[in-house]
Amino acid sequence: MAEKFEALEQQLELFIENTRQMGIIVSDFQPQGQNVLNQKIQTMVTEMNEIDKMRSQIENVHVPMEVFDYIDQGRNPNLYTKDCLEKALAKNEHVKGKTDNLKRFKAMLLVELSKVFPSEMEMYRALKQGRGPT
Amino acid sequence: MADLIRRPEPMQSSPRSSPRDRGSRSPAYPRQDSSGTLKTTISLVPGKTPSVIHTGSFYLVKDIPDEADITGSTNLLSYYNLEHSYNRFLNKKVKEELSAFLPHLPGNIDSPGIQDNSSLRSLIEKIPIMNKDMNQLSGSALSGFRLHPGALPEQYQTMNQMTQKKKKHKRKSKEADKGSALQLAQDISTADNLSAEPEARKPKRPKREDEPKDPKKKKKKDKKKKKKHSPDTTAANGAEAAT
Repeated sequence: MAEKFEALEQQLELFIENTRQMGIIVSDFQPQGQNVLNQKIQTMVTEMNEIDKMRSQIENVHVPMEVFDYIDQGRNPNLYTKDCLEKALAKNEHVKGKTDNLKRFKAMLLVELSKVFPSEMEMYRALKQGRGPT
Repeated sequence: MADLIRRPEPMQSSPRSSPRDRGSRSPAYPRQDSSGTLKTTISLVPGKTPSVIHTGSFYLVKDIPDEADITGSTNLLSYYNLEHSYNRFLNKKVKEELSAFLPHLPGNIDSPGIQDNSSLRSLIEKIPIMNKDMNQLSGSALSGFRLHPGALPEQYQTMNQMTQKKKKHKRKSKEADKGSALQLAQDISTADNLSAEPEARKPKRPKREDEPKDPKKKKKKDKKKKKKHSPDTTAANGAEAAT
């Protein structure tokens, strides 16, 4: 997959470069540059065709819509990755806190119940032991 | 008690599926709860309110599900080997601008795409015409691109502005591929600014002799600074001051 992306990247780079050169020719146009410009226009059509051919090779690539928003706002898309990692870590820590607290609560509840209902808790433990891990 | 109705077990929901067990399921005999489900008996005596009789010793004694490989308490970043990416993005300062991500791209790409109608979202919302062959332009079609000689007004010369910016990026960035087409373009652009022929490529400007000396000078300066701040020198200075 990475090779396909590289090929597309190279093709896009060529296209951008050609367009940029056209921009330079046009920005300070000289009469002798007309032939070069015509060539560049034909190259542009060829390269667009090449890029279009690559469409079939790069399918089923899922890009989050939020990334487009970042790019449209002129922001670095790496910031999206950074935000995602930050969010994932925060959520992970939050859930870990919950599960740890529940485990602690269970242990404390068993201790307290054993104090108040010792015989019942013995039965309970025996029942659970026969069934598997508590 | 004749009207006692047993709640059927999930596996024996259909009376056809469990005809053999019918005789052994009398509510008169206590049974050992082995299924883990809560067994209840509901008495429906006519004239009385229906009551629920619990037959087991404990409620909610369910089998605990097998522990999953990944839970919320596992460190997901280390589980998926993303610690490297995490350190890369969070410990280092990521530049805000899009041009920092695409340093080779010409034009002013840091401005919002809505301004010049170049947003990616508009590309998705208004899908361009596709599945049409793109043919080479004929001679008559190319005549439409015949231009008048002369320079554009400065406000439209965005290409030249960006090439100046790109030079700065080029010096800073180490990761830039030397063989990429875009870098060749930079050389072309410098040649373009000097000569009228845009296709001409000039060889890279050799490094000045002064340039490599600069870092050494800096190092020397740093060393001097360090010496000033080192405890020995401060102690010596202190001694001098005391005398």
